[in-house]
Amino acid sequence: MVEILQNLGAGLWQALSPLNLILLFIGLIAGLIVGVLPGLTLVMGVVLLLPFTYPMATTQAIVLLTAVYLAGTYGGAFTSILFKIPGEPIHVPLLWEGYPMARRGEAAQALGWTLFAALGGGLFSWLLMVLISQPFARVALSFSTPEYFAIVFLGLTSVVVLGTGSVQRAVVSLLLGLLVATVGVDDVYGAERFAFGSPLLRNGIDYLTVMVGAYAVAEVLARLEEGFSSATLQKVGGVKTALPTLGQMRRVLSTFFRSSIIGAIIGAVPGAGATVASFVSYGVEKQYGKRRKEMGKGVPEGIVASQGAATASVGGALIPLLTLGIPGSGATAVILGAFLLHGVQPGPQVFQTSLDSIYTIYASVLVGLFLMSLIGYLAVKPLVRVMDFPEAVTSAFIMVLCFIGAFTIRNNITDVWMMVGFGVIGYIMERYNYPVAPLVLGTILGPLAERAFMTTMISYANDWTVFFRRPVSGVVMVIAIIGLLYTLLSPWLQKRKESPLLNKNC
Amino acid sequence: MKIMTEGKDWRRKMGKLVAVLSLFTVFLAVILAGCGQGQQAGSSSGGGGANQPGTKYPTRPIEFIVPWGAGGGADQLARTCAEKLDKILNVSLPVVNVPGATGGTGMTKLLAASADGYSIAIYIADTHALLATSKPSWKLEDITPVARMIKAPSFLFVKQDSPIKTWQDFEKMTREKPGQLKVSTLGEGSVDDITLAYLAGKGIKVTGVPYAQPSERYVSILGGHADALYEQAGDVRQYLESKQMRPIIVFNEERYPAFPDVPCSKELGYDIFLPQFRSIIVRAGTDEQKIKTLAEALKKVYDTPEYQKFLEQQYATKDSYLGPEDAARMLKQEVDNMKAIWEKKQ
Repeated sequence: MVEILQNLGAGLWQALSPLNLILLFIGLIAGLIVGVLPGLTLVMGVVLLLPFTYPMATTQAIVLLTAVYLAGTYGGAFTSILFKIPGEPIHVPLLWEGYPMARRGEAAQALGWTLFAALGGGLFSWLLMVLISQPFARVALSFSTPEYFAIVFLGLTSVVVLGTGSVQRAVVSLLLGLLVATVGVDDVYGAERFAFGSPLLRNGIDYLTVMVGAYAVAEVLARLEEGFSSATLQKVGGVKTALPTLGQMRRVLSTFFRSSIIGAIIGAVPGAGATVASFVSYGVEKQYGKRRKEMGKGVPEGIVASQGAATASVGGALIPLLTLGIPGSGATAVILGAFLLHGVQPGPQVFQTSLDSIYTIYASVLVGLFLMSLIGYLAVKPLVRVMDFPEAVTSAFIMVLCFIGAFTIRNNITDVWMMVGFGVIGYIMERYNYPVAPLVLGTILGPLAERAFMTTMISYANDWTVFFRRPVSGVVMVIAIIGLLYTLLSPWLQKRKESPLLNKNC
Repeated sequence: MKIMTEGKDWRRKMGKLVAVLSLFTVFLAVILAGCGQGQQAGSSSGGGGANQPGTKYPTRPIEFIVPWGAGGGADQLARTCAEKLDKILNVSLPVVNVPGATGGTGMTKLLAASADGYSIAIYIADTHALLATSKPSWKLEDITPVARMIKAPSFLFVKQDSPIKTWQDFEKMTREKPGQLKVSTLGEGSVDDITLAYLAGKGIKVTGVPYAQPSERYVSILGGHADALYEQAGDVRQYLESKQMRPIIVFNEERYPAFPDVPCSKELGYDIFLPQFRSIIVRAGTDEQKIKTLAEALKKVYDTPEYQKFLEQQYATKDSYLGPEDAARMLKQEVDNMKAIWEKKQ
């Protein structure tokens, strides 16, 4: 313990050197920007900064890239809450929870909760990283494809209960999303599906086009229909404070710890990253949390669950990277690339040969978390003022961002048209009370679920019971199925209970 | 607090600030997107002056397509080369990652661009294998290699404390329980799969388990979810150095100098050597002079001490570099080899 503190002290001294601090700051700002821009994911952000790290020392390169990663899990929260544009897939749950709050005039509170969750979740996984990284990494190793599938399955089932409408409509929407996700060349056998001979469909439909279209474009269309006359926005100007009070924090403590643990674990397993962490944590909260009934209408628990897990996943993903040399997520795969380009192979031997640089990275993550929160805190107030602008103006900006975002995904103009198409689909679905969330979730998680399922089937000779026989996947599957059954059966049970009494209400 | 009391003036100022900020964000986005955008616009309109023989090449940035994700072996090669080519050719080479379909998505992108030498791509053995095992959207005639930059033989690795001590153990176990041992591979129809198909033809039947992400593949060994891993030594260097994995066979004509104790497939009586290679290609029909310029620049990259160190770390062979003609011959030969094995399996 004393040794850790000593090392950490030395690391902090390094991390606070002017050069490292500047790099940290640049990284955080870059991360926030890619987080805000739809289509430019945080992985892309890390990739974009990678060439700039060539001339740097290894530690500095890693400090810069980790900062981008860290802030990338946070930046998208602003656009999700304020404009209903998910800057990152991670922040789709924040649309469900934060945006209703903003529409109620509580944008600053929603952003305050996000800040609290990001800082708290980040600190939690940071502690894990510093104190028990070795045993924690071993836990991550014990996860294989059955577990990946079970985790993603949990995320998929939890979405059925999302939205307030009927379960049937949610299922229809989810299946539509899964169908969209199958378009293109499949990962395992290379078979073409629903391509109809067009190279465009052969390359598949990127989930980002669906996400940006069905949310942001559809939202602009909906506002256009109302003639940009939504009244609630005017209240926002009266916001005084943003951060939750201690008492409020205590009430979400169990949510906070649950989401941080989920985030750290999902971050550490190689098959999934911040996005899955955010969805699964939100889903668990929705099914088993204290205020599950109110979720989706704008409660802090939903924000804490998804944002806390997303930021906690950063520390989680760094653990296997630093201790074993195995990246726990897409962004850490790029960071591994940066290590390798500098001729350093992360792994157990790095802890012997260059312990000081490991602790500099640890310390810079800590400093980065606080610096990010500070930037976030200062940004909340001016950003909330944006809501005072005429809706037509902000909507125009939203459309610009969406078009740029869709184009950036693969530098492909077709993606832009697809995004517009999904915007119309999203608008129509919203109009006819079909929830959009399951559609988006299906396209994001569908490929992950399919890949994990196929690999498991090949690996275990088509024996599906393996999902239930392995302890971790078994537990997760049972949780998912109980939650699913409960949701599916509860309207029926309720009807049975109520029908003798309330016949006239039908 | 302050915002409330200071009234309209402050609000207007604030509004201005926000407007400037959002403009700045959009501006940044355009710049970030611009790297690719400029390329796209350039390559589609490049039919004019740039294509005429004798014109100076290159005069504008060259798009470097990596049909694989960032951070992997292909990506590392591209980024190492791009950085050095930048100085030799005096134009920048933005790396664009277009992952998917074992490299097929990136190939589509390359073939959609003009054959003007302003789009180049990394082409590796696994993508090449698709020509033998499935029906990809391109043919060998559609591409022209510029150079082979790296060649490294493949190995089978097991976990350090695995009960499989030697290749003989592996062989014995597969013959006793055919199909029971799991070997982590890149995917169906890949070079890995062809090698396993060859072994199956010799009575060594295993289950090839495809893992999309390299990290999942390595965890499958370290976590004990699979028995062996088909991989090149450079990609698992850290696990070899930290004694977490060890090789049991190298698929090569002779023992590999870095691992003198590991038997090679030839001495064991298996005639299968499909090394991993990573080459750089352009679209067929690109001006020969341009290919020559690129190939010469790449040879200069290859000869730098940094690149040689990179090769060493990748456990690559000394004769990795091949110029355009040799690389074309190599591609043809490899695809014929793989076809012969694959057709026998069917």
